[in-house]
Amino acid sequence: MSGRVIVITSGKGGVGKTTTNANIGTALARAGKKVVMIDTDLGLRNLDLLLGLENRIVYTIVDVVEERCKLKQALVKDKRNPNLCLLAAAQTRDKTAVSEEQLKEICDKLKEKFDFVLVDCPAGIEQGFQNAVAGATEAIVVTTPEMSAVRDADRIIGLLEAKEEIKSYKLLLNRYRSNMAASKDMMSKDDVVEILSAELIGIIPEDTGIITSTNKGEPVVNDENSPAGRAYRNVAERIMGNDVPFIDFEEEAKVSTKIKKFFSKFLKKGKEN
Amino acid sequence: MSENIFTELYNKILGLFGQAAPKEDSKDVAVNRLRVVLMQDRTNLTPELLQRMRKELIELLSKYVEMDKEALELNFEQEGEQMALMLSIPVVRAKDEEEIEAAIKAEEEAKAAAEDSNSDDDDELDDDLDDEEDDDFDDDDLEDEEVEDSENDSEEVIEEQVDPVEEEKPENKKDKE
Repeated sequence: MSGRVIVITSGKGGVGKTTTNANIGTALARAGKKVVMIDTDLGLRNLDLLLGLENRIVYTIVDVVEERCKLKQALVKDKRNPNLCLLAAAQTRDKTAVSEEQLKEICDKLKEKFDFVLVDCPAGIEQGFQNAVAGATEAIVVTTPEMSAVRDADRIIGLLEAKEEIKSYKLLLNRYRSNMAASKDMMSKDDVVEILSAELIGIIPEDTGIITSTNKGEPVVNDENSPAGRAYRNVAERIMGNDVPFIDFEEEAKVSTKIKKFFSKFLKKGKEN
Repeated sequence: MSENIFTELYNKILGLFGQAAPKEDSKDVAVNRLRVVLMQDRTNLTPELLQRMRKELIELLSKYVEMDKEALELNFEQEGEQMALMLSIPVVRAKDEEEIEAAIKAEEEAKAAAEDSNSDDDDELDDDLDDEEDDDFDDDDLEDEEVEDSENDSEEVIEEQVDPVEEEKPENKKDKE
């Protein structure tokens, strides 16, 4: 078996790389795929927290590289889904503890056993980024409809295009506020796609459920009622090659404001009478 | 300044009739600013290189017109799909024929002298040109003349687009001024 190695990257920090990683990984595993996630953000690990696995980590990627354990021993199984594993970053070491070659070797070994290897990339464009990208052949660039995030995404896309190993990259637009896009107070998905001239793999709406699910260490894709969870499940479907239409959040927002307006008028009339 | 007051007044009057100039949405501002920034990011032109380009353009154009060097603007702009480099130069005074000829002649002489001294050393040509620029540019006779005449307020603006593919769009220039 030869699985796919996908790096999830963004340039700018705080746009939702790790959240995206946890949710896409969980969604793919729910769909029956064997998935392993690698946290390469040495010294600033967080993927374990989002998955609620922080208390189960014994060995990290640095222990594997420095041969204190076997690769298999360092893989932490998810609480709910046996298809899902995590290779955690070391919290006490810095970016120099693992090299590009070592990461590539780990990715190559893992893709023999798993359908998907998702690499969580640190923010920035320095060595940490170079390491994370080393073993991947596909990339997902996470951005938000804000100027700074789009600018950094453009930089990352330039760097990815220069890498021969990266065969394709897709754009994931996170924290999308359809009501603000509809009122032209924020860039729309079309604006971002046009500026970056990249193909979209998903649009994730801004959702307070992300915060509460992070608090609980449970990815939001497991919540059937969450809009962000639904959007992440769609992204996983598209990764697996299924053609799922994009949810038109603008239209949904317009409809819901129309309904609200209708009812508020109705209520006002009721009061007047 | 006075122009601004007039446009403001004009907009206010229009506003009274409920036809104020259409308000630009904040997302359009963001999109336009981003486009300009990304164009610069993608060109690999560092601020130093832009500064150098600016200096070289001034040097080149000073032979033909006398301009307000401080007010010279060099910007990237988006025109449809095409990226354009916009150069805006306030002209202080047109030069007369003799001045232009003298400037061209001086330049040719300098070039010939440089070629002579470098004829057997091609590798260092670039470096030498750099040095020449630094030494000669600032105390160039053209520059001195302009300082004297800078009070001349009959300014006329020449706009030149360096990008050869693009056509000039006069409306844009007026907005900028």
